[in-house]
Amino acid sequence: MPNRLELTGITKQFPGVLANDHVSFAVKPGEIHALLGENGAGKSTLVKMIYGIMQPDAGEIRWNGEPVVVANPKAARKLGIGMVFQHFSLFEALTVLENIALGMDAKIPSRELESRIREVMETYGLALDPHRTVATLSVGERQRIEIVRALLLNPQLLIMDEPTSVLTPQEVEQLFTVLRKLAAEGCSILYISHKLHEIKALCDTATILRGGKLVDTCDPKEETSRSMAEKMIGTGLKDIVKAEGRAFGQPKLVVNRLSTGKTGHFDVPVDNVSFTVRAGEILGVAGVAGNGQNALLDALSGELIGDDREAITIDGHGIGLMNTTERRRQGLCAVPEERNGHAAVGDFTLSDNSVLTARDRLGMVMMGLINSGAAKTYTGKVIADFAVKALGPASTAGSLSGGNLQKYIMGREILQKPSVLVVSQPTWGVDAGAAAAIHQALVDLAAAGSAIVVISQDLDELRALCDTLAVINMGRLSAARPVKDFSVEEIGLLMGGVHGSMETA
Amino acid sequence: MMRYRLEKRPEPSKLMLYGTPVAAVVLTMILGCLLFSAIGYNGLRAVQEIFLTPLTNPYKWQDLGIKAAPLIIIGTGLSVAYRANVWNIGAEGQYIIGALAATGVALMTWGMSGWWILPLMAIAGMAAGMAYASVPAFLKTRLNVNEILTSLMLTYASVQLIYYLIRGPWKDPMGIGFPQSRLFSEAARLPNIIPGTIVHLGVPIAVIVALIAWFVMSKTVFGYRMRVVGAAPHAARYGGFSETKTIWLAMLVSGGLAGLAGMLEVAGPFQRMVPGFPTNYGFTAIIVAFLGRLNPLGVIVAGVVLAITFVGGQVAQTTIGLPDEATGIFQAMMLFLLLAGDILVRYRIRRVSPEASVGAA
Ligand SMILES: Nc1ncnc2c1ncn2[C@@H]1O[C@H](COP(=O)(O)OP(=O)(O)OP(=O)(O)O)[C@@H](O)[C@H]1O
Ligand SMILES: [Mg+2]
Repeated sequence: MPNRLELTGITKQFPGVLANDHVSFAVKPGEIHALLGENGAGKSTLVKMIYGIMQPDAGEIRWNGEPVVVANPKAARKLGIGMVFQHFSLFEALTVLENIALGMDAKIPSRELESRIREVMETYGLALDPHRTVATLSVGERQRIEIVRALLLNPQLLIMDEPTSVLTPQEVEQLFTVLRKLAAEGCSILYISHKLHEIKALCDTATILRGGKLVDTCDPKEETSRSMAEKMIGTGLKDIVKAEGRAFGQPKLVVNRLSTGKTGHFDVPVDNVSFTVRAGEILGVAGVAGNGQNALLDALSGELIGDDREAITIDGHGIGLMNTTERRRQGLCAVPEERNGHAAVGDFTLSDNSVLTARDRLGMVMMGLINSGAAKTYTGKVIADFAVKALGPASTAGSLSGGNLQKYIMGREILQKPSVLVVSQPTWGVDAGAAAAIHQALVDLAAAGSAIVVISQDLDELRALCDTLAVINMGRLSAARPVKDFSVEEIGLLMGGVHGSMETA
Repeated sequence: MMRYRLEKRPEPSKLMLYGTPVAAVVLTMILGCLLFSAIGYNGLRAVQEIFLTPLTNPYKWQDLGIKAAPLIIIGTGLSVAYRANVWNIGAEGQYIIGALAATGVALMTWGMSGWWILPLMAIAGMAAGMAYASVPAFLKTRLNVNEILTSLMLTYASVQLIYYLIRGPWKDPMGIGFPQSRLFSEAARLPNIIPGTIVHLGVPIAVIVALIAWFVMSKTVFGYRMRVVGAAPHAARYGGFSETKTIWLAMLVSGGLAGLAGMLEVAGPFQRMVPGFPTNYGFTAIIVAFLGRLNPLGVIVAGVVLAITFVGGQVAQTTIGLPDEATGIFQAMMLFLLLAGDILVRYRIRRVSPEASVGAA
């Protein structure tokens, strides 16, 4: 039987970056094939070429033995290639069915479409009501729409680019069941993820890219997460250095009965939340996405301004009525979950993106004039200190790979040495080496006396990083307890329980 | 039935982005030629008179200057507002109100002399333009009323105000019944800067305004605010730029500059308020802003291009009897082609297979 997909000498050059350098490998029918590599290694670029979003500069793609040119995504779908992106393209106000109908190349009567959708869901155990509005769905459920959309075309190859970064452990398990079933039926799967234990659990083969080149192929079942991470980076992996039994200082960030009204259309508001973070302490906020994390971050950062000055205090000063700029002056920096269009402007250069949040704390403005030299110097420092793969401060944010943009954003805030830092998903889509570096930078910042709040769905991250932990559920926050007092099962259950209660519909 | 749909291009090319304005102008000439040939004029001649004569005939250069000046000033203000996605469509109204305020000062100081009269008129013009633009700003920020509609509707109100004032309180006592204000006294008229021509002080002012705006947009926090609010409103809020303040600033700047243009126009070429004062500069400046890629330096060039069509339109009227409306047709065609070109640069057209339309919901 010919290989399902065979790449030979695939090369893609961007201005100043060789994103793929003569990459050759094959995917067999029914194989679950992992694509691993550091941030900026060229994984997304490679699959975008397979799916026809970009064209390779050189090299050949063979599909079931035949050489093909994949002109565009529509051609890819015609061949039988499906792709699920990390960022979904769904209309919140429309139903599941309407969203799927909009994405189809050929329009099918909605009755027929609905019966086909139900059939696919039944076959693969994907529970989803076609008539629910997308806005009411959790991230995992939204991803199911994208998967159903791809499966309706009976793909022979399904590409998934970091599908699990936003899923709960339970949702990940459900996804794996579907993928295994698909593979058993002969559909090949090309799977990109930075979560190496998932790769071990799911994949048959792993192809490892570094700097655009294929450096190794291995069987994940025979490797450890650490050995795969080291293959990706090419050197040993550092552990987080965290002093045991650290003493915390005075309460720094005190939040007292913070509530946000109903904010955006579909966000869950924060409901009467109170907590204290002391100097040197890292507080973790665990929870399934969509339980008020965004509102909590916005309320702390100052994007949402409440009506009670004392609801949020730093060192005893009420900042509840201040906007983001004033709060930054008071020492509070924040990183929202969404990097594109929220934490950074894709069309702007990295230098200009530094002006967005660092202009006051780093003296980039004099009498209304922007000191672009200062912005450039600072950006260069962020790039160097956080090993951001970018040509320089003049690169646009949009040209960075997902993980590198995240590293830049984290660096931009951490190097401002805020006395309070609130971050959401600090290592979202970041490779193992860079995640360790970001964790270390956060631990060091806390050691220097800052109070840090980490909002995340990644339990491993929270357990490794935080001193205390609280769980957010439908906008309410549980009491914070030392992280050592929680067992893995307990946090998982808390979050899982939360999820279970959300799914009653 | 065939169906088409727009698909976003992954990477719109820089070259195309700057090429579209040029392409739009060239296409306008070609289509204009065909159109006027089809309805029985000498199309080639029409295009030649409208686009080339103003450039080749040195007598027309001063006309170009004084027509371009208000277009550049208003277009600069609009380019600032449009950058921030604040759609002030009522610059014509703000321009008229600015001119009326300046007229008011000129009439109150009638017969007086002093260097301070012109600056006072300029301040009054700008303040009035700003005040008029704050109505849509207020309605937008307080009640979330679309600024496109309110600013546009206020334009019609401003035209009525001219008619009222020059028929009533401001009517020229010596005007033998003509509805117009009296001629401004010497101190309220813009000085000519090139003796023997009609080129007035407003022309260099326009260039200076655009240069300042370019500097402000690229080097200051104000400009940064406008750019970031337009590019990513969510990121702007994160960066500490409130949407309300931005809407106000955008409206005040564009309204104030439109008011200034109105003052310069009434104190320069007109030297009195007449019923024919509104000449759609405020609307044409919308084309100028877009043709200049919302960049003040581009606006200078675009202002001259549109001035060419105004001057050329008048030439073509006298030489080949082209109707008055021809200029408007050419200008509208240019905007249409520019916007269409912009869409094609950012998106591409995809044909959806024919069976697609069957049973579509
Ligand atoms: N449109 C573009 N223009 C210029 N450079 C680009 C563009 N897209 C990607 N690159 C560069 O190509 C390289 C590979 O990027 P790619 O997105 O494929 O990385 P990745 O392996 O998916 O990383 P991550 O794990 O961070 O998502 C990076 O250095 C990136 O900066
Ligand atoms: Mg990627």
